[in-house]
Amino acid sequence: MSFEEFQNSARLYVIGALEPDELQDFEAARKQYGAAAEEFVNQCYTLHEAFALSLKPAQASAAIKDRLMAMVRERSERGRGPARAN
Amino acid sequence: MSSVADPSLKGTPTSDVETAPSGKLSVSAVEPQPGTPTDVDLMIGIQAGDPDALSQLYDRYSGILKALILRIIHNDTEADDLLQEVFMEIWNQAKNFSAQKGKPLGWMVTLTRRRAIDALRKKQAYARAEERLQAEPEQQPLAWGQNTTAEDITSGDRRALMAKVIQSLPEAQQQVIDLAFFQGMSQREIAAHTNIPLGTVKTRLELGLKKIYDSLKELKDEL
Repeated sequence: MSFEEFQNSARLYVIGALEPDELQDFEAARKQYGAAAEEFVNQCYTLHEAFALSLKPAQASAAIKDRLMAMVRERSERGRGPARAN
Repeated sequence: MSSVADPSLKGTPTSDVETAPSGKLSVSAVEPQPGTPTDVDLMIGIQAGDPDALSQLYDRYSGILKALILRIIHNDTEADDLLQEVFMEIWNQAKNFSAQKGKPLGWMVTLTRRRAIDALRKKQAYARAEERLQAEPEQQPLAWGQNTTAEDITSGDRRALMAKVIQSLPEAQQQVIDLAFFQGMSQREIAAHTNIPLGTVKTRLELGLKKIYDSLKELKDEL
């Protein structure tokens, strides 16, 4: 697989559109191209942002945030906040 | 109106779960105003167990993430419930976010998409979703866009720019990308769903995604 072909596959990969047989070839090429491949795959994830940002934002129910924050504060007070990053 | 409103346009959208190196190809980022915490600041706050950081992140991005969920599961009540679950997961999984590997918005979008597609599958809602989509043909695929105007673009609205990029694709390419990204369909599923040959589906996906990717790179260079 050429790097250009890998790039095409990477864009399909990040949206989960590779078929199983293609996935095997993709992973092999990913190893072959090493750091350059990883960097490209990472960059491809900006497609996710683009798709999400292309949508008109929707209004969430006001009660959702209240419920969420009540749960989070309760957990936080119990000392069960999210684990810190390494 | 969106709960995101202006604050969502001031954050520092970022990339992702497997994620992207900071600053490489982030087109959605808008520099926060002085004194406003960046998205990364908020993620660090969440990692430290600060509920207020999550509250601010919610205000900034709940509208975008709910739109994404709605686009996938097509049910407002279920979308609200899932949105709550997503932010709870953001809280619980914040330790897995690394600014070295990517940016918060991309990370959240990927997480949200996965959850929404999982929910869709678990509830065996594919058939019902398709029925709804068929009942709303005017939303496919044009609902993707936002009636972008020149004013939107000159005002620096990144959302409008993203919509413009996607609207610039031929509808056939928009359709297959929509089915892959928002419905989680594989190439074979898309081929079966649309009666388009598998090879054509692949070609349309590759061409469409490359055009979007290249456009994002150009925008990054220009902005």
